[in-house]
Amino acid sequence: MTYPASLTALAIGVPWCAAVVTVLIRRQLRAIAFGASLVSVLASVLLLRAAPSSQSLPEALMLLYSCLTAGATIALPLRDCRGGTIGGILFLLGSTLLAYSADDLVVLLGAWIASTIPFLFGRWLGARTWRPRAALLASSGILATAILLIARSGHTLSIARLARQSPGGMAVFGLLVAAVVFRKGICPLHAWVGDAAEDGDAIATALLLNGHFGAMLVARLIVPLFPGTARDLFPLLSHLALATALYIAIRALTENSPRRLIAYLALSQSACILAGLESRTMEGVTGALVHWCVVTTSTMGLFAILRLLEVRFGENLTAGEYLGLAQHAPRLAVFFLVLGLALAGLPGTLSFCSQDLLIHGTLVSHPLTGLLLPAATAMNAVTVFRLFTRLFLGKRRTGFTILADALPRERWILTAAVLFVVVGGLFPNAIVARWTGPAEAVQQADGIPPRRSALPVRVGRRDRTAAAVFSGLRNVRLEHRHGLDFDE
Amino acid sequence: MDFTQVMLVFAVLAPGLVSAAFALAWLAGWVPEERVVSLVTGMTFPASVAALAVVVWRLLSAQTVTVAFGNWFSVRDYHFPMVLLADRLSVVLLGMTVVLVGLIGRFSATYLHREPGFFRFFLLLHLFAFGSLIAFAAGSFELLAGGWEIVGITSVLLIAFFQHRTPPVENALRVFAIYRACDIGLLVGVFAMHHWAGTASFASGLPHLEGSRATTVGLLLLLAAAGKAAQAPFSGWLPRAMEGPTPSSAIFYGAISIHAGAYLLLRAQPMLAQSGLASAMVVMVGLATAVYGTISGRASADAKTLLAFASLTQVGVVFIEIGFGLKWIAVIHILGHATVRTLQFLRSPSMLHDYHQMHAAIGRQEESSGNWIEDLLPARAQLWLYRWALDRGHLDTILDRFVIHSLMRLAKLFARLDRIGLPRTPERREQPVASFGAAARERVG
Repeated sequence: MTYPASLTALAIGVPWCAAVVTVLIRRQLRAIAFGASLVSVLASVLLLRAAPSSQSLPEALMLLYSCLTAGATIALPLRDCRGGTIGGILFLLGSTLLAYSADDLVVLLGAWIASTIPFLFGRWLGARTWRPRAALLASSGILATAILLIARSGHTLSIARLARQSPGGMAVFGLLVAAVVFRKGICPLHAWVGDAAEDGDAIATALLLNGHFGAMLVARLIVPLFPGTARDLFPLLSHLALATALYIAIRALTENSPRRLIAYLALSQSACILAGLESRTMEGVTGALVHWCVVTTSTMGLFAILRLLEVRFGENLTAGEYLGLAQHAPRLAVFFLVLGLALAGLPGTLSFCSQDLLIHGTLVSHPLTGLLLPAATAMNAVTVFRLFTRLFLGKRRTGFTILADALPRERWILTAAVLFVVVGGLFPNAIVARWTGPAEAVQQADGIPPRRSALPVRVGRRDRTAAAVFSGLRNVRLEHRHGLDFDE
Repeated sequence: MDFTQVMLVFAVLAPGLVSAAFALAWLAGWVPEERVVSLVTGMTFPASVAALAVVVWRLLSAQTVTVAFGNWFSVRDYHFPMVLLADRLSVVLLGMTVVLVGLIGRFSATYLHREPGFFRFFLLLHLFAFGSLIAFAAGSFELLAGGWEIVGITSVLLIAFFQHRTPPVENALRVFAIYRACDIGLLVGVFAMHHWAGTASFASGLPHLEGSRATTVGLLLLLAAAGKAAQAPFSGWLPRAMEGPTPSSAIFYGAISIHAGAYLLLRAQPMLAQSGLASAMVVMVGLATAVYGTISGRASADAKTLLAFASLTQVGVVFIEIGFGLKWIAVIHILGHATVRTLQFLRSPSMLHDYHQMHAAIGRQEESSGNWIEDLLPARAQLWLYRWALDRGHLDTILDRFVIHSLMRLAKLFARLDRIGLPRTPERREQPVASFGAAARERVG
């Protein structure tokens, strides 16, 4: 096993093993979960250091997600530290990392399905309502169908080797886009996200949403595999994503459930990520990837703070009245405000840069519909501020016997999140430059004119030599040489 | 970097560093005493004034002092330049900011003594000063937008300073919504400058745009400026912003924040001059606001609201001056107005006392100015105008009825659509907050 492969196996295998251990042992759950996440973090760091900048998208996403999970395990309230929850979170971590690192369609499908399993059961991490289950199942089913069609058409299942081949044509492209729409919660199939956040386990659901599998599918599969089709049809999906961002931003204006509100914020902002990825501009794609970091960190922090408030003040928190919780939990209030406004482009935070790039990129590619993005962001900012005022401002409430602000472990992990968005915002060049390589790779995958690949797909040794000879030539129809069986 | 450049950077960064230090200290569990806060504030702004004096000295012999930090971030051909610029326009605003914020800090140390939010106020005051200085010293519209947003958020947080009362919090939300809506103009304007001129930096001259492009950018910047300066039709938020503590009202709505919009237009004035339509719109907005502020102010019952409308009127006149290209008259007007209005706001809590003293000194009640103009109007028109002024020009009513209510109706429709497919159960009734006590007795994780 090569060095990167063994590190990847470590990053994925340790959380899965730890998930089994937590379910069996049911002791020291937080320590086990944090330790396992930390192993994934370290392995991802090493992987990222080893990967060339232009091909480091999976590794960077792995690092981001493992850090997110490590933070979540620290912030998790004691009440939620159950074997099932911790096991589910670790299982989700392993599945998500597997999906990010997969180079084979079957592996990707397996990871995609595995990441949904804990949320398909109401007694585990799932919601009571049927819509989240239906959406997750539908997205998995559609992706499976797409991969089946690719396999049936005789193509290889290696993602790298399928690049620019448009395997399966429009049917597969359409199915992949449908899988994105279901999983990402693009309008009109967005309602499940609110249900999942409302009824499911808050922190685990935040991790599910922050996997951004839809965006990952776009960046890693759809754009590289279908550059020509994507170029023609992506504006449609981009318009849809922008419309979703605005629709959800308007929808959130009258919502009073804090969990749903944060889910809508996450949804609206992640639609912005999708719009950026589909903008086909360097600024837009880079902005989308940087915004990915901001959205995951901020929404994770917001969900964690909300859960901590629920544990302290009851689970029936509402944005329908002023609760005045800042008097009892001032630090949580400040963390909430900073992370919330960081989601909406507060200057001095990383999202100011990412929003700047996103707005620039989307306006360049879609001058009219691109205007929806700043409008949606403005509304999201108002929603964040409304939620903040309702939860934290207002008359001081009495009747609480325990008035704890953030505990030290919660305080420091939330401080780390705030520092990430603030220090990242003050010195964004390092982070932006880190994502420029992957963004260029996405751009190149999209930017090359559609043409048949010079490389054969199923090749033997002799054929590899022929391919190597002709790899520098364009439009060489290798299938006519030597009577080889090429997939076209 | 020479000494003058270091001084410029110091003057701009000092309040930001103090604010960051306060925030970190608080996060670490240490709330500095009032004495410490006052002392630090008392040292910061005089130091900034001294640093700016060095910059002013240099500007006597040079046109500009520029500090280029390179690009804040860049992606291929798109750059976000980090340039600080002090020229004869910005240095006036910079000087005004550090002097007036320093004075307000000194005043507030006494005025807010033993107020529960004393520390919060000063943290936000320093942050506001930092945002203002960034906006005024920015060498590009992008950086200006960054400082602009910081001014906005601190302004809103100080409106909600008395957080235990509902009206300030609700008004803060409304002001925030209007700020964000109008800031779209700035964001899109900056994008348009980038798109058409390749840069939004004005450190080495304003981006050259002509014709419809100049008009488009000019109108977008006017939208942003009108929102920040509470110009018509966005004037409704200014009286609401008076919910904050008096020192913050003085510095925001008497001096700095209210003039930020005018500064933006002054920066873009050569571009506005390229477009007759944009210039005319600036004049019309200013004129409408001046008339609105004058009439509405005459029906105001409290001192701070009266001063807010007086501010509106003067800033409206400043807009007119900018529209006509009278750049330096506008700058002098801003400087004079900010100074006088700050003093008036700070005296407003003792306004009655001042009036009693004045009336005692002159031996009679002073008549309000402009009564003879009112008398020229027919009685019915006077009554109509009085009602119009009492409802503050119906601006809030129009905004509520045609924008907010429409948006809310749309949001409710979307919410109904979202419920399709779910069983028809009555919506869960929220339990009163007092019942949270039971949950709080449980162990906190």
